[in-house]
Amino acid sequence: MTVVPAQQTGGGGGSSGLYDVLELVLDRGLVIDAFVRVSLVGIEILKIDVRVVVASVDTYLRFAEACNRLDLEAGPRKDPGLPDLVGEITESGARGKSKGALSGAAETISGAFKQAREEGQTESRSESRPRPRKSTASRRKEEEE
Amino acid sequence: MSTYVYGITAASHPSLPEDMGGVGQPPRPVRILKEGELAAVVSDAPEDLRPKRRELLAHQSVLAEAGGGGCVLPMRFGSVAPDDDTISGVLAERAEHYLERLRTLDGKVEYNVKATHDEQAVLHRVMSESPELRALAEANREAGGGTYEQRLQLGEMVANAVKARESEDAVDVQHTLEPTAAAVSVGPESTGWLANVSFLVDRDSSENFLAAVEQLRKGHPHLDVRVNGPLPPYSFVEPGPAEPAGSTAGTDTAEE
Repeated sequence: MTVVPAQQTGGGGGSSGLYDVLELVLDRGLVIDAFVRVSLVGIEILKIDVRVVVASVDTYLRFAEACNRLDLEAGPRKDPGLPDLVGEITESGARGKSKGALSGAAETISGAFKQAREEGQTESRSESRPRPRKSTASRRKEEEE
Repeated sequence: MSTYVYGITAASHPSLPEDMGGVGQPPRPVRILKEGELAAVVSDAPEDLRPKRRELLAHQSVLAEAGGGGCVLPMRFGSVAPDDDTISGVLAERAEHYLERLRTLDGKVEYNVKATHDEQAVLHRVMSESPELRALAEANREAGGGTYEQRLQLGEMVANAVKARESEDAVDVQHTLEPTAAAVSVGPESTGWLANVSFLVDRDSSENFLAAVEQLRKGHPHLDVRVNGPLPPYSFVEPGPAEPAGSTAGTDTAEE
């Protein structure tokens, strides 16, 4: 991916690097009041990864589950030792590649974990269980702007 | 025919991207509008311009090309003037201001840094730092996962520990990189990252900045640090509200 010639997209790369730059293009830069701005309704590109901790029952339960599975002996960046993960590592894209296979494996797990968490959130939306949710408003604002 | 504006630069800029493809489908050719000492990088504005990915990329590409040869003040995406004369009028009227900005930002580029936690790694970290959490997790594990309440309790404690870590790491990101930058601008908060900070860096000393980024990564292996740059100085085109023009370049210079 090249957005800018000779551009640094260390650590992320792939599409996350693209989103990171487009956020700046949309939100910052010079605004001159004699000019009009194109309407940003229907913005399609800002798909933000939800990774920051959200205070909710679902988050708590999933963190608890993750901690139960966490192998404290193995170290955070060690190979989880599951051969069947290898296939997924190569599929995890630029993020995995740029950081090496081992942390790629960690991300694969983390990605699956995240996905599971998000699915859990979607499911629970139809339930009546009260659940504090802090982040949605700011995220929505981001998308509307 | 309305005119799309990419950025403002000095008329003496040595290599402006004339005839490059800009926004629109087919891409409208980029042209240069000169007015006194200033020049605007523009193209015709497509009637149906929408904030699509390819249009945003076109905007960014034109600015990247123009910024490679000299300082350009980037417009925010989607700035459209009714006609060329309006742009010339704005350049003439505010020439002093834009020339000052161009002088201040000359030779400088923006690096945007976004950091997130690697979830496995940060969980590992908070667990290893807290005997209490480890004991609780161990007790739950031995009880076959624990009751709903026990799991909720553990999860809430872990979530709080991770959140505290997020705040600490956000400060660390800024403090580690700040000394190598001329100015700092803190970007909007979002659920997508724990830190979103832009640094204005001398083009010639960008190696120092990138070395500081490496240092940050080494010291914080549980952080996923994404660096984008060199970019046009999107976050530094406007001087801060209470800042006398020409003192420093930056919108939100850090105060910690």
